[in-house]
Amino acid sequence: MTSSSNRSINTTAVAGLSLWVGVLVVLSHWMGNQAHRWLPVSASTAAPLVDNLFSLETAIGTFVFGAVVSVMVWVILFNRAEKYDTSDAVPVEGNTALEVTWTAIPFVLVMAIAFWTIRAEQQLGTLGPMEHIHLRNPVEQAGGYAGDRLPAEQVEVVARQWSWEFRYPDADVSATELHLAVDQPVTFRLVSEDVLHGFYIPAFRLKQDVIPGRAIDLNLTPTREGTYRLRDSQFSGTWFAANQANVVVESADDHAAWLQRSAAAPLQPGLSLAVEEYALRQASSTRAWATVPPAPPPQVNVPGSPDQPHDA
Amino acid sequence: MTSTSPLNGGIPAQPAAHAHVNHNLTGFIIFLCSESVIFLAFFSGYAILKTSALDWLPPGVDGLEWRTPLINTAVLISSSGTIFLAEHFKAREKLWLFRGFWLLTMAMGAYFLYGQAVEWSGLAFGFGSGTFGGTFYLLTGFHGLHVATGILLMAIMLAKSFIPGVYAGGEQGVQATSLFWHFVDVIWIVLFLLLYVWQ
Amino acid sequence: MTIATFPPDPKPEPGWTRYFGFCTDAKVIGIQYIVTAFFFFLIGGLLAMVIRGELITPASDLVDRAVYNGIYTMHGTIMLFLFIFPVLNGLNNLLIPTMIGAPDMAFPRLNAVAFWLVPIFGAVLMASFFVPGGPAYAGWWSYPPVSIQNPVGHFINGQGLWITAVALSGVSSIMGALNFVTTILRMRAPGMTITRMPVYCWTALAAQCLQLIGLPALTGGAIMLLLDLSFGTSFYRPEGGGDPVLYQHFFWFYSHPAVYVIILPVFGIFSELFPVYSRKPLFGYLYVALASFIIVGLGLIVWVHHMFPSGVAQWMRNLFMVTTMLIAVPTGVKVFAWLGTLWGGKLQLTTPMLFCLGGLFNFVFAGITGVMLATVPVDIHVSNTYFVVGHFHYVIYGAAVMGIFAAIYHWFPKFTGRMPYEGLGKLHCLLTFVGANLNFLPMHPLGLMGMPRRVSSYDPEFAFWNVIASLGAFLLGVSIIPFLLNMISSWIRGPRASHNPWNAIGLEWLLPSPPPEDNFGEDVPTVISRPYGYGSGQPLVEHQDDIERRLQLQEATA
Repeated sequence: MTSSSNRSINTTAVAGLSLWVGVLVVLSHWMGNQAHRWLPVSASTAAPLVDNLFSLETAIGTFVFGAVVSVMVWVILFNRAEKYDTSDAVPVEGNTALEVTWTAIPFVLVMAIAFWTIRAEQQLGTLGPMEHIHLRNPVEQAGGYAGDRLPAEQVEVVARQWSWEFRYPDADVSATELHLAVDQPVTFRLVSEDVLHGFYIPAFRLKQDVIPGRAIDLNLTPTREGTYRLRDSQFSGTWFAANQANVVVESADDHAAWLQRSAAAPLQPGLSLAVEEYALRQASSTRAWATVPPAPPPQVNVPGSPDQPHDA
Repeated sequence: MTSTSPLNGGIPAQPAAHAHVNHNLTGFIIFLCSESVIFLAFFSGYAILKTSALDWLPPGVDGLEWRTPLINTAVLISSSGTIFLAEHFKAREKLWLFRGFWLLTMAMGAYFLYGQAVEWSGLAFGFGSGTFGGTFYLLTGFHGLHVATGILLMAIMLAKSFIPGVYAGGEQGVQATSLFWHFVDVIWIVLFLLLYVWQ
Repeated sequence: MTIATFPPDPKPEPGWTRYFGFCTDAKVIGIQYIVTAFFFFLIGGLLAMVIRGELITPASDLVDRAVYNGIYTMHGTIMLFLFIFPVLNGLNNLLIPTMIGAPDMAFPRLNAVAFWLVPIFGAVLMASFFVPGGPAYAGWWSYPPVSIQNPVGHFINGQGLWITAVALSGVSSIMGALNFVTTILRMRAPGMTITRMPVYCWTALAAQCLQLIGLPALTGGAIMLLLDLSFGTSFYRPEGGGDPVLYQHFFWFYSHPAVYVIILPVFGIFSELFPVYSRKPLFGYLYVALASFIIVGLGLIVWVHHMFPSGVAQWMRNLFMVTTMLIAVPTGVKVFAWLGTLWGGKLQLTTPMLFCLGGLFNFVFAGITGVMLATVPVDIHVSNTYFVVGHFHYVIYGAAVMGIFAAIYHWFPKFTGRMPYEGLGKLHCLLTFVGANLNFLPMHPLGLMGMPRRVSSYDPEFAFWNVIASLGAFLLGVSIIPFLLNMISSWIRGPRASHNPWNAIGLEWLLPSPPPEDNFGEDVPTVISRPYGYGSGQPLVEHQDDIERRLQLQEATA
């Protein structure tokens, strides 16, 4: 083989590899964009942070996965032993430079992701402090949360087996359907009367476990009008899957009007699918495995409608 | 570590080359390291519950009396010394001195347990008295179980010491029991600091 | 070493009855573990079919909700404690002594006791289906306060039996760990320094160290749970001043390392098999070996990533995000090492190799979703959703179980003396790979859209991906059939295997198939070179030619 064709083999290899890397980069970029479509509609200030992080990780992940699979496909296609060849291949024990490279690059990459994440969390300030042991928290004591305006509304959330009750102490309103004003920061005070529950609204990208015996604060700011689902996310017993509620985000005026209307509404049993199903279960003769009986539905001004469609 | 041949007619117990160099002590040491983690778990549980509790002590309880437990502690720590002496005499093949100090260690361990029982019976709170009661009895009870196990192991070793020829080589049981006893002692020191000193 | 007496004349094959009794031979115990594990795998798999049958429609219409919760709880519990840990202990029993040239484990009777605890606690767990109130229903995590509510109010209840079974499982595992660690550290063949040990033994050592450190923490937490459940204490009961999150810390301090206990041996399997079927040395053997212990160290300081939404302090969440992300680095070292092994090799796409390749593919995908889960804001959104269920099933089924199947096909000839059927093996591999991807990939969009896990019913918008996942699950159920047929039929009447059908390098391949009761006995060969010497032309041990000649002679005259 002449030296010129040696050089051309190397050039072809480098060119081919660069082209393939380029393809992977384009694919990764595209997947990163697609990632937004796999997430629900974005309805709080926290959502863009989460979505962008997820999109970035999808893009990086696509590249890594694509690169690994490319190598695997290559070797399966081009490094197969001949049919009756059981001899050994050319031995290569290792390569220290490669080892250092493929240790250093992932290290830098994951540390970069972690660092960006911590920076973004601090700037937005929407993710905490959701500490259930409030040990001398100066930010909380100063009455505010970094990055957000002072919460304009306070909502108490009572989680039970198996219903959600929302109380607006200032307006003297209670409901089993959560109403919030768009673009207004709100602070939730989460309590549970029995077991662990999870306060999870996918459209907001926020989740906080509700722990019996303590009150936990959660702050957020909704940014899109619509109806969303609140789902219990921490297994809480037999009717855990049915422990869901609707979240209605409306304009500030509509919200104020709703509060006024609701304060005047008479108290009635709130929504609790568990209570209905439990009654059916007790009435039927089939004895299934034991269950804790559901807590009676809370008496509220606004039960809400079980058939309300939701956006996410 | 190989065994010297027992005085039973010179029949070797196992073929010489793979005389199954005995790994019992290695295994036992590894076991003790693992066992310490369960105590560490209980210690950290105690510390977390104590520091985060709003009302740590049950109503009517002002704290733990520490003087009698301190005496018990002194007895237990000294028993580590007596068991060390017992091993010392066994290494010099003074079997009766070994047995004497071994028995003394057992007696001191038994005294410790007795002291623990007396303390328990005099306490104003029970197992179900909140997290304080629960953790106190769990920690002291679990430790007490280990002390009782240690005494039982020592009794077995003591009995074996009367079988001729057993201790002309196979000392691993005594070594392991002694290690266990020191382990139980160290655990108690930490427990004493946590429960009685840090109040 | 006297090679004149090795290999010993084959004794008449001992009867199959010894597999049903108290036998101290690690090779028998290994088979006992593996067969018992697969028995429970079938039960756990049946429960999975019921789960996916319920979830193929949005409404709770197949079984009562309380029954569903018991079923998903027992599915997880059985798969972890009665399948995956026992099957890995089985492989350890078969492979560790033979790979290091030891006659048996360090403590053979303890070994047998450790095994027999498995059917015992299995029976305890199965019994819980039949007590009043049914089995435990609070998930395999058994978080209080749900797990200590005890609706029937009996002293003997499903949750209490669950805790008992898990405690016994812990005892069995610790006994096993003591054995494996002592054996690896103390009973290696002459010349086999720790840096000449097969990677499978490195990863087994690392995994068993994690068991020894982590299990007592779980035991402690479980003892307190049992005391709360049955003896009126309040460690986790808020009304009595307890803290439910404390349980989570104990639980995950063990259960996170537990996932490394599961995957490390699989890393070992990949590290053993890729060289054989590429005919190339393992790339960067020492780095791969040492990375196992970096994983041990990091694996012990990441547990809070299971608790990001539980109310722990923000600084804690950030700290554990950093440590969790760091684990990607030593894991990546191994993945790249395997790629380096494959590159430029002479690949043989046998059944074990195909399982390894499929397992690697799934593992890398799972690793990427793992980094996503480590990222706190993303995890706040997807924790406790199907995204997590998809992630861990990709690791456990997609990678670990496929690796275990690879190991079974690869070492089947060695320990049974028969060759498995290749066609059925490849069919099994195809059905498994397709079924697993169909079953677990759709769980990721479901989680992103907000479908919680452990639900017996869901909102209608989640139906599409659930149908696909359920179809994949049913395919996985079917995929077991060629495997079982292959195992049974090959063991009874498969073609006889030589001592080294794969032409592999390793001490176990210098034993007859199946090996005699005490493996090399007194005649342990002296190791003179590093492992995976493919292409180097170097023998692994002294007098290797003589050993090979005698083995071939024995096979020819059999």
